[in-house]
Parts: sequence; structure tokens; C-alpha cells
Amino acid sequence: MKTFHKFATLTLMIIAVSAYGFSQKAPAKTTPLNLVRGIVGPVGSNTSWSGYSALSQISGGGVIPIASSSTVFYLGFTAGATADINNLVLYTTARRGLTITAVTPVKLGGVSNPSINLASTAVCPVQPLSVNNPCIVRLDPVTLSLSALNDYYLVVYFTANDPNNSAIGATQPSFGQSSLNGWFINGDESRLTAGQSIPSGNNGAPPDFLMYVMNQ
Amino acid sequence: MKTFYKFATSALITCILAAGALAQTPLTTLSNLTEGEGTITGTGSVWNGYSELVLIPGASLLGVKSATTSFYIGFTGGTTADIGNMVLYKTARSGNTILSVSKVKFGGVSNPSINLASTAVCPVQPVSVANPCIIRLDPVKPALSTLNDYYLVLFFTNDGNNSHVNAAGPSTLQGALSGWYIQGDETRIKAKGTLPGGNNDQPPYFLLYVTNQ
Repeated sequence: MKTFHKFATLTLMIIAVSAYGFSQKAPAKTTPLNLVRGIVGPVGSNTSWSGYSALSQISGGGVIPIASSSTVFYLGFTAGATADINNLVLYTTARRGLTITAVTPVKLGGVSNPSINLASTAVCPVQPLSVNNPCIVRLDPVTLSLSALNDYYLVVYFTANDPNNSAIGATQPSFGQSSLNGWFINGDESRLTAGQSIPSGNNGAPPDFLMYVMNQ
Repeated sequence: MKTFYKFATSALITCILAAGALAQTPLTTLSNLTEGEGTITGTGSVWNGYSELVLIPGASLLGVKSATTSFYIGFTGGTTADIGNMVLYKTARSGNTILSVSKVKFGGVSNPSINLASTAVCPVQPVSVANPCIIRLDPVKPALSTLNDYYLVLFFTNDGNNSHVNAAGPSTLQGALSGWYIQGDETRIKAKGTLPGGNNDQPPYFLLYVTNQ
């Protein structure tokens, strides 16, 4: 019996050491997940954005129930060498509401007014950009968990009187299956404040530029 | 020391029992990886010599963790479907350059003849719009990624059997899938090749569901 107890003790120690060893695994890599259904299928191109704001609605009604503390927006470009963005913001409203309840800065490379070098393979690996090889640019993650109880509006304002922006092309979805929709307005619609209204013009068309909303 | 040994023995037995209990993990639940088709019409007939191509967009994946992907195809008529080849193309999202090609199989082969008249294959006979036969292809690895698009392509051999085959679709409730068909074999394109054009956002004919098992 004493031998049995000794054997059991030894086995227990082996299990304890092994369990500790197996527990020292690297943290699991998070999988990129869609927070809403993004743009699907082939895309067209919509060019000349100097002085325009592209507005995209991310409706709470389309949010896929994935726990995520951050939200990442992806913009698609089909043409151009440099995109000069003057400002990027995210407006929050109540579902189906048009009154802005919060304004969140959106950034790329730490700034809200980035110039994106679309001609660089570090930014757009497949050159030249085209409708068959759109360049998809990932903006900095926004510390915001999308709520099904709100709607959100991403607004991208392109610097006016800027030849660079005259040459850029936005991805223009061919299919209407996405949860996203959008419209564009001549002028800067990115400086609205809480309490003001979302500009009109949304008729449910697929958005220019905004392709995906993901957890990373 | 004797007490310590007794304690250790007791702890070991507890460990063994606990490990046994934890090993009884629940069965995996059947889950949609993307939104599948709704009501079917069964109006797609005569498939000899045709390929059907179906887009499964990465942007529509629902976030279900899965190591495998199962495709379900539906039939509403015919006695034998002779499939010449089945593949899954991977592209960048909204891209048309094929990055990789995976074989898709049924019963271990990529060119199955499916006996639609057999109750072992289609339990409810005869196969019809009211009683569609839904066939689960062999699971494919690896899992689908949100960062890619995928195209399932089925080529139906140019023979008499396939001239009597009826597809389940198109559906009036499209889901996240879209497809088109082309006369000829579109399953032999290699990586770096270009995907054939023609997708105009119509619901697919054969592919009904994409699930984790």
C-alpha cells in the first residue's frame, strides 16, 4: 500500500508539472470578424472627391452579435496616387434617429487628417489600383463597441481644391446585399457636433469607400 | 509523510475523475457560416455541360468558429447528377485573381455521380420542388476567412443524365450568396488565373447553405 501511495504521489506531481507547462501557451490570436455584413462582390469606381464628404451609415439593426471592444473601418480605393483626407469622424445616433448624440474622432496613423499614399506598395500591395484590385485601407481601431441600439455614421471629408483628390476613385459596390449604405455631399460634413442633425440624402444606396466594419 | 501520501492519492483520483468529466464535451452545434438561401423555386433545369459559380463573400461571414466548411447543394429533379469536377477558388475580397484552388469532394471524389433516385441519398422520393434533395458535400478544410472571398464551382458533365437535372434554386430570398452559370468547364483555372465574369448578384441555383458541419 505504501508503494501505491508513493506511485500516486509521483503521478500527481507529473500531472501538476505537465498541466503547468501546457498552460504556458501563447495568447490565442484573435480572428478577424465582421461586425456587420460588409461589401460583397465586384466593385465599380466613383471618381473625383475633392471637396466632398462621403457619409456611410452603419445601422445597429445590422450588427452581428460579436463581443468586441474596438471597431475597425476599412476604406476601398480604385484609383489615384494620394488621398488627402481633411477629417474623419464617426457620429452616433439613436436607431433610426437623425440627432447626433456623440462624435468620435477616427484616425489613420494616429491623425484624423491623413494623406494616404496609394501609390506605395506598403499601403496598397497590388499596383496599379483598379476595380479588380481595389486597395483596402484599414483605419486605426476606434475604441467603441457597436451597439445594436444605435446607428453610426462614418464621415470622410476630402480636402477641397486638391488635385490629388480629383484623381482618386472610391469603391462603388455593384451588389446591394450589404448592411451598409451611404451617400455623398459637396462640402465638409465632418464638423457637426452633438445635438445637430445627420445631413439628408441617404437613399439606401451602397456606400462609396466604406467596405468593411470589423473587430480588428 | 503517510498522511501526505494519502492526500496525494486522493488528489490524483480526483484529478482523474475530473479529467474524465471534462472530456465529455458537448457535440458541436450545426451553425450557418453565412446566411443561406430561403424559399426555393426549382426552376433551373438542363445542366449538361454547364458550370455553376457561387460567391461566398468573406464580408458576410457571421463569426462562427469552425475548422471546417460544409457546402449543401440542392436538387429538385433528375435521377443522376454527373458532376465532372468541383473546386473552391479563393480570391482577395472583391478581387478577381484566384489565389488558391481547393478540391471539393463528395464521397471522397471530386467527380461524383449522385444517384438522386436512391433513398439512401435522397430519402424522400420522388425529388421535386416540394421535396428537394439536399446533399452535403464532404467538409472542406481550412475554415473560411473574413479576409477573402470564395467561389464554389460545380461543372456538370455534358451527358444525358444532366439534361434532366433540376437545381433547387434560384431562391426568392437570396441570403448572402450569389451565383451565375457558364457553358463549359470553369473548374480548371489555376492560381493566379482570373475568375470568369458574369456575376450579377443573382441567387445561386445549387448552393443552398454553407455551414460548419
